[in-house]
Amino acid sequence: MKYSRLVCLAAAVLLMAALTACSKGEKQELNLYTWAEYVPNDVIAEFEEKTGIKVNYTSFETNEEMLAKLENTKGGDYDLVIASDYIIKIAIDEGLVSELDKTKIANFSNIDPIYQGFFYDSDNKYTVPYAPGIPLIVYNPDQVNIDITGYESLWDPSLEDSVGIMDTERVITGITLKTLGHSFNTEDLSAIEAAGEKLLKLAPNIRVLSQDQTQDYLISGEISVAFLFTSQVALALQANPNFKVVYPKEGLGFGVDALFIPSNAPNRDNAHKFLDFILDGEIGARISSQIYYLCPNKAAYQYLPEDFQKSLVISAEDIPQGEFIQDVNAEATELHNKIYTAFKAALD
Amino acid sequence: MTIKSRKKNKSNLWYGVIPLYLFTLTFVCGPLIYMLVLSFLSRAEVWGVEKVFTLSNYIKIFEPVYFNTFIESLKLALLTTAITLLVGYPFGYFMAKLSSRGKKVMMLLVIVPFWTNALIRMYGWIIIFRSNGLLDKLLMGLGLTDKPLKLLYSFPAVLVGMVYALLPFMILAIYSVSEKLDWSLVEAARDLGATRLQAFLTITIKLTLPGILSGVVLVFIPSMGLFFIADILGGGKFMLVGNLIRDQVITTRNWPFASALSVLLMILTSLIIWIYRRVTHVKDLEGLV
Repeated sequence: MKYSRLVCLAAAVLLMAALTACSKGEKQELNLYTWAEYVPNDVIAEFEEKTGIKVNYTSFETNEEMLAKLENTKGGDYDLVIASDYIIKIAIDEGLVSELDKTKIANFSNIDPIYQGFFYDSDNKYTVPYAPGIPLIVYNPDQVNIDITGYESLWDPSLEDSVGIMDTERVITGITLKTLGHSFNTEDLSAIEAAGEKLLKLAPNIRVLSQDQTQDYLISGEISVAFLFTSQVALALQANPNFKVVYPKEGLGFGVDALFIPSNAPNRDNAHKFLDFILDGEIGARISSQIYYLCPNKAAYQYLPEDFQKSLVISAEDIPQGEFIQDVNAEATELHNKIYTAFKAALD
Repeated sequence: MTIKSRKKNKSNLWYGVIPLYLFTLTFVCGPLIYMLVLSFLSRAEVWGVEKVFTLSNYIKIFEPVYFNTFIESLKLALLTTAITLLVGYPFGYFMAKLSSRGKKVMMLLVIVPFWTNALIRMYGWIIIFRSNGLLDKLLMGLGLTDKPLKLLYSFPAVLVGMVYALLPFMILAIYSVSEKLDWSLVEAARDLGATRLQAFLTITIKLTLPGILSGVVLVFIPSMGLFFIADILGGGKFMLVGNLIRDQVITTRNWPFASALSVLLMILTSLIIWIYRRVTHVKDLEGLV
């Protein structure tokens, strides 16, 4: 009696395993792995309709979560990933990314070359740029009495308790390094230490640290100055065209989220089809105008709505001035975290 | 006959809990052991962990920058617990004195907020607290303030959020002991000449002590770890242990250090439970809970 019950249980478990095994494979699928809502639904729907390939959209919260998962699956399970520049560099170094077969991507030449050849993929072998961006300062001239010209202005005493910045460690410690004349990626520990000292003096001006929807604080009047990601800049300007945008004089930061195919992707062909599909000019314009990042697709420029032409296409001169935030050695990474933790503790 | 069949039932039940044991071993003990081991390893230069034994993760916790987060968390947790106790005790106590219909209604009202996700309820507080929000409008309408206050993203805002989130646990703990309280003992004390206050202090408080203590444990322990409230209502400006652990995992990628912090946090909270056990046992009131 007892025995048969155990057998039943075992049988049930086996059956379940068999069922899940059956549902895999056979069908035409594409496993896309990126942040939530980063690829517009209508674009995915059109791809599915056109090719008959079902897109399974899985999302992650952070680049690090993505890389951890990719490492666990040995570069398998997912066919296409969109992630940030610095993490792609690590993924390539760890052997988790496969080379693209450009013969299968007819639209590859649509990529604007100013968005190619960056540190993470200098020969353009592994990636397709998806969403490049430059974080900028935006402020409400009605609430600010000073002339804001760069990162240094954020330290101005008149801005007490009215600045909102992104809660991103390396970006914030990085702009502090910039005000002291250093690179974002310096591994000079005494320079980072000095930036930590300076960062503490920014604390009285900070009203809010936030990762998502930081532009809302500016729009609602909770803060008068904000340091924002590109998409947030575009959204803020759309809500209030009177806001002023500042290209910080100390030097711009620059980042690219790009697509890559993991080393053991199960549906490599479908991944190439998807890349070719989104590099189409009309589709590319639809993506950029919905995710509010710069448009890396030169065939798409003519399809962008007029008000986007201004905010989403940045002149080629601005790009070389932008500096990427790259991975630094463990010692410098630890120090960045330490000064940022001290900064946060000084905020309340 | 009856004894025999009961025995048989018991052994069958035992089989029923095997999956639960397996589940607990795999998904609770497994990760804990993994974390403990991880906390003694070193971080790799770029990504991952190197299998080199070190105690430096534990030593690092005592650097002031990191140790301060424990003190901050402790401060917030203690304040939260004290306020929930002050508010929750009278609430639970008088709730136990209501008619049975009244009790049911109150119980429902205490539990209803749990039907909504805690995160969403915290966003509700943002609407109340933000500049020109409900509270600002109310205060200005009453002529108490003349311009919007900066209420949101401050320590009081975080404290309100914590108290709000954890108050039900205190209320329910106090209520459950107050309901079982033998009121005749209080009456006896009054008959013997104790004042209301004396009777309350010597009889009621002592008899409800197990409830107070379990309420304190139920509130204090989660409040050490609830970092999303500090993030949402504190505008990301508060560095609690929970925030620090998260940052170590996702931005600094120092998983061994994150594990060491978690281990210490668990030791601290286990200590609280141990003290609770000791205290309730010494007073020999465990049976009342």
